[in-house]
Amino acid sequence: MIDIKNLHKSFGKIDVLKGIDVFIAEKEVVVIIGPSGSGKSTLLRCINYLEEPTDGEIIVDGIPLSGEANINKVREEVGMVFQRFNLFGHMTVLENIVLAPMKVRKLSRKDAVATAKELLDKVGLSDKAEAYPSQLSGGQQQRVAIARALAMKPKIMLFDEPTSALDPEMVNEVLEVMNTLAKEGMTMVVVTHEMGFAREVGDRVLFVDEGKIVEQGPPKAIFEEAKEERLKSFLSKIL
Amino acid sequence: MNFDVTLVTNSMPLLLEGALVTIKITALSVGLGLIIGLFAGICRLAVFWPVRFLAAVYVDFIRGTPLLVQIFIMYFALPMLTGMRIDPFIAAITACSVNSGAYIAEIFRAGIESIDAGQMEAGRSLGMSWSQTMRYIIVPQAFKRIIPPLGNEFIAMLKDSSLVSVIGFEELTRRGQLIIARTYGSLEIWLSVAFIYLVMTLTISRFVAYLERRYKIDDRH
Repeated sequence: MIDIKNLHKSFGKIDVLKGIDVFIAEKEVVVIIGPSGSGKSTLLRCINYLEEPTDGEIIVDGIPLSGEANINKVREEVGMVFQRFNLFGHMTVLENIVLAPMKVRKLSRKDAVATAKELLDKVGLSDKAEAYPSQLSGGQQQRVAIARALAMKPKIMLFDEPTSALDPEMVNEVLEVMNTLAKEGMTMVVVTHEMGFAREVGDRVLFVDEGKIVEQGPPKAIFEEAKEERLKSFLSKIL
Repeated sequence: MNFDVTLVTNSMPLLLEGALVTIKITALSVGLGLIIGLFAGICRLAVFWPVRFLAAVYVDFIRGTPLLVQIFIMYFALPMLTGMRIDPFIAAITACSVNSGAYIAEIFRAGIESIDAGQMEAGRSLGMSWSQTMRYIIVPQAFKRIIPPLGNEFIAMLKDSSLVSVIGFEELTRRGQLIIARTYGSLEIWLSVAFIYLVMTLTISRFVAYLERRYKIDDRH
């Protein structure tokens, strides 16, 4: 589904990603962990070209990414959820969700609204369709953001620290929605500090440090039988 | 020194007619300026550098030269190039809207840049193009934020439009001059003219404050 080969990314003189190779299969849930500044968010953002790779190859759903030429086609299939929600502040929840399906997928308003209502029901916010983002809690906003991304019927969902900006009591409502998605067979790549989620929902965990994948494997192997010193010391700090 | 009140009341209909013309020039200029400014403002943020460069030249030239000189160029200099006389109304509107457009371009640019980068990323990540995201997400939100500076631009243009009196266009200031030429009532007429300008600018600033309050509600993230 996603095939990344020798991915490099530099910002000016700073090399953030130093050769990443990873293959993500259909329906796989991959969780990326690592210290801040390790390049894990950059890796995620390269997958839908919000960051342009300096070198290397990324193939998403059979399409090799090559800049502006086909990027919108790929992004239609790849949903993204941000740390800071990024809901459109001037639109109601419903308008946030129907905009892209209508403008990009050319759905009729009626169909788009029907899908949006189903998705709002799924994330438990049926009663908030007419609310504005600023009237919602952080957890509610993030659930709307997930519904907005799902409305495009993507094949892959990317999550960039989706719970990091939330108050602790709202983290679970967002994780539950992600858990449901994973059970339904969505291909997911999740950057997170929620080790509980990584352990329970992840099929595979990637530990990224200093721009490289230092260790990877099933959650059990990563959390209980870590081999690399850097991973051990990272885990000892957060667990 | 005596103040002739009847001169004021007698001149009022003529002055108010002039004021109406002033409002017309201002509204037309700022209206056209909005279109020019939105276009030039977005050009200043374009990815392709020649577009950015041309937009910057336009903005710098207009903001770096006096409106009075721009009006002279439009009315006296350009006809020498083209060989065609230009109607004072057309010259006045063109000069003022091209002038206003440059200031509004900067207002738009600042407004657009003030929108969180995450909004563009969210739009793009949903598969929308740069221009779709600009149109449906960035510009509508920028519009709300630029209401106050746009209001100021409207007020500035209303006052600056008095400059078109130099090409004989009969707006409020020119009307005042013409009445004084007949009556020598400098004191009465200039005070009346100033008062009318003041009433107009105060009305606009109150209206802008009202709009600002109305659109404030849902602008928080």
